[in-house]
Amino acid sequence: MPYRLRRLFRSKKQQTHSIADQKNRTPLETSLKENLKEFKKRTGNSSDVVIRTLTTGGMQWEAAVVYIDGIVDNLSIDEFLLEPLLQLQVPASPVQQQDVPEFIAEQVIALGGIDPVSDWETLFEAVTIGRAVLFIDGAAKALSASTIGGERRAVEEPPTEISIRGPREGFTESIRTNTAMVRRRIKNPNLRVKTMKIGRQTKTNVEIMYLEGIADNKVVEEVRRRLKQIDMGSILDSGYIEELIEDQPSSPFPTIHFTERPDSAAGNILEGRVAVFVDGSPFILHMPAVFIQFFQSVDDYYSRSFIASSLRMLRIMVFLISLYAPATYVAATTFHQEMIPTQLLIVLSAQREAVPFPAVIEAFIMETTFEILREAGIRMPKAVGQTVSIVGALVIGQSAVQAGIVSPAMVIIVAITAIASFTTPSYSMAVAARMIRFILMVIAASFGFYGLILSFIVITAHLCGLRSFGVPYMAPLAPFIRADFEDSVIRLPWWEAKERPRLISGQNSVRQGENLKPEAPGTQSIRKQRKNTGELDED
Amino acid sequence: MERAKINAGQLFVLIFLFEMGSALLLSLGIEAKQDAWLAVLTGMCGSLFLFWMYYRLYLFYPDMLPTSYMQHIFGPFFGKIAAYLYILLFMYNGARVLRDFGEMLVTSTYTETPLFIINALLLLIVLYVIHKGIEVIARTGEILFVVLYVLAVTGSILIVVSGLINIDHLKPVLEGGIGRILKTAGTETLYVPFGEAVVFFMILPYVNRPDKIKPAMFSALVLSGINLTITMAVNIAVLGVDLTERSQFPLLNTIQAIQVAEFLERLDVFFMIAIIVGGFVKISIYFYAVVIGVSDLFRVKEISSLIFPLGLVLLFLSMVIASGYAEHIKEGLRFVPLYMHLPLHVILPALLLTVAALKKRHSMNKRKQS
Repeated sequence: MPYRLRRLFRSKKQQTHSIADQKNRTPLETSLKENLKEFKKRTGNSSDVVIRTLTTGGMQWEAAVVYIDGIVDNLSIDEFLLEPLLQLQVPASPVQQQDVPEFIAEQVIALGGIDPVSDWETLFEAVTIGRAVLFIDGAAKALSASTIGGERRAVEEPPTEISIRGPREGFTESIRTNTAMVRRRIKNPNLRVKTMKIGRQTKTNVEIMYLEGIADNKVVEEVRRRLKQIDMGSILDSGYIEELIEDQPSSPFPTIHFTERPDSAAGNILEGRVAVFVDGSPFILHMPAVFIQFFQSVDDYYSRSFIASSLRMLRIMVFLISLYAPATYVAATTFHQEMIPTQLLIVLSAQREAVPFPAVIEAFIMETTFEILREAGIRMPKAVGQTVSIVGALVIGQSAVQAGIVSPAMVIIVAITAIASFTTPSYSMAVAARMIRFILMVIAASFGFYGLILSFIVITAHLCGLRSFGVPYMAPLAPFIRADFEDSVIRLPWWEAKERPRLISGQNSVRQGENLKPEAPGTQSIRKQRKNTGELDED
Repeated sequence: MERAKINAGQLFVLIFLFEMGSALLLSLGIEAKQDAWLAVLTGMCGSLFLFWMYYRLYLFYPDMLPTSYMQHIFGPFFGKIAAYLYILLFMYNGARVLRDFGEMLVTSTYTETPLFIINALLLLIVLYVIHKGIEVIARTGEILFVVLYVLAVTGSILIVVSGLINIDHLKPVLEGGIGRILKTAGTETLYVPFGEAVVFFMILPYVNRPDKIKPAMFSALVLSGINLTITMAVNIAVLGVDLTERSQFPLLNTIQAIQVAEFLERLDVFFMIAIIVGGFVKISIYFYAVVIGVSDLFRVKEISSLIFPLGLVLLFLSMVIASGYAEHIKEGLRFVPLYMHLPLHVILPALLLTVAALKKRHSMNKRKQS
């Protein structure tokens, strides 16, 4: 009963809150002095707030321009807002005092986006994103002009997703630059961008982008619904959004893919995925994601399909190595010495003779050391980077062996595992493997190969049970979808990949024409094709 | 019924893995000596008829679990008894398979580990997957199918490369005449492994495209039959009849014989993967049939509330069905086929089919008259 009461109470409170939100908007005053006083009071006289008073219209109207310095484009404020206002003469036909804002908006200001503002809440929403607001004495209305600007990082090469071939530009922190980079690649009016503001304090711009007619409407709706449900104080990066809208928060595996490459984003949107841009983050999310996607790099699409396919298979194999290598070593040396060839076994046991620990402790020491080194390598200032690599490679690697704490074979295993975990193109997937590896080592030490096989089945079943926005995570492998398989573990040449992924794009699955396979001139099929299109005369 | 659907391809994979399950492990039809592989093949051909029977039954009631339609066919009282018998059969068979694997691991590698721990671990995995539902079982099966096949192909190549195959072991063919083969097929291979697939009549209502069930079922059966035939032939060709007959787990011995380049040897641990994968699918299917059967028969809505208690029953059953491995095997060869498999794999389905057909004809006649 008390629970129910509490719920009732809470729901009522929420309702009144939302109604209050719409009604409790305080309107602007008519007097300029009053407005400026209120504005100063609300901003608490912050030093980066600029208030520029002026008279315009041939000295007959008092006005003021307010903006926050640093997030506006000073040039456009000076040239297109202040200058026309200051040079404005007495208008030919007399203008009523309350119509002055409309007159100025229509005939004076030379800026693209002008909106009338009549209450303080909207006014501050505008000012805090970098718009300039013009107050005019005698009108209970102000104008907000789009003057967003300020210093931003230039477009650079994406540091976390390196490619050999392919475009060199990466996303930046500015959402508009980011959407523009994708738009520039997809010149189609059906590319939709929808904006919403999330975060009570940060009011972060979050935009979803998709191709109307190719993206599945249900997924688009689902993404919107989940985004709308977010009620947080602050959103500082797309990582916040990812954690709030993913399907399976308790799984170590990521169910949303992120990228900082516009070409990768465009490719995913063209396949029918929905992209989520978050202002202030160079990483955009796209969903639904499937497991195999985390092993695909943009390079695969730009290099020849044979090479791309074999590299993909290599990455998956290496991912398994990064998961199972230390665990297999532990299991083999602890339980199943008979499966190690005799010569190797003699070498191994001679090495392990001096080591005082069981294999699993040895593995734990080395793996933990490596994780510490790696974490230190990421966090530390670049200037001292050299030190850590020397300490890591020489001191810990060699001395640990010489001191008889670990065996040389163990160092090799840890090194292979470490390098293997860097081949996974997606960082979030590589991190998942890092965590699971430790659990697998414990399992291997307790149950040997039997435990590892069972753990493999559990991991497979867990992956098969995941879904990302309604799409099975292991698709197109399980459930096996033949049409989608052409771009999964392997990549068929473009002339062979005729359809978009079926599970992801709802409609319109054919993506290209027939007969794209390049052939030498004079071959039968090209002649036939030309004949059909009338290019070749009958001979 | 759980609201889930699997497709025909997944049904194919599940049947295949199910058939390969414990059958890979045991020496099938070794009563027929060097013609064991022929006995397997004959058993497979005979089981096509059994499958046709199960399929016809499904066609009569495509959206209903057998535990429900048995009550339609036999009336509520006898129908419930029949359904209950099947649940018991699946439970017992599941426990048998679990015991098979536990014994295999205890004898081959984990000599110091108690059987109970080994069984409990495998069952834990099964419970986890059952908890996720038939869709996840089916998808997991698809991945495991690929793993199994890669291992099988590698294994065959390695066996051929290490020059172990001695065709003379398989000669003379048909030494004991066709009679011995038919007898072995009729008393052994028809039921284990092929007839065991009767459990799939509990799964068929979950398939989304009824028209594709038939090809999927029969091709899975034929493919697994051919695979088992090859396995058995290879076992005998490598080990000889005598050794195969005496060996508890002939496939493991065959794999152990592999020696390539003085580096690849003692791969049996590696091939435990293939065998455990098959066993895992087999136990999962049996246990899933038990769980949905019980929930349907006793009208328990929450399937997940049944999983844990029934899992405990299965685990303890696997421990108590026999006091030792020899007893376990003897039960499996002498008593189970005669008193459990023959009536429940062949006679009862035939009876069900006949009564269902008669009932249908009767009702159609009635409709014609009225």
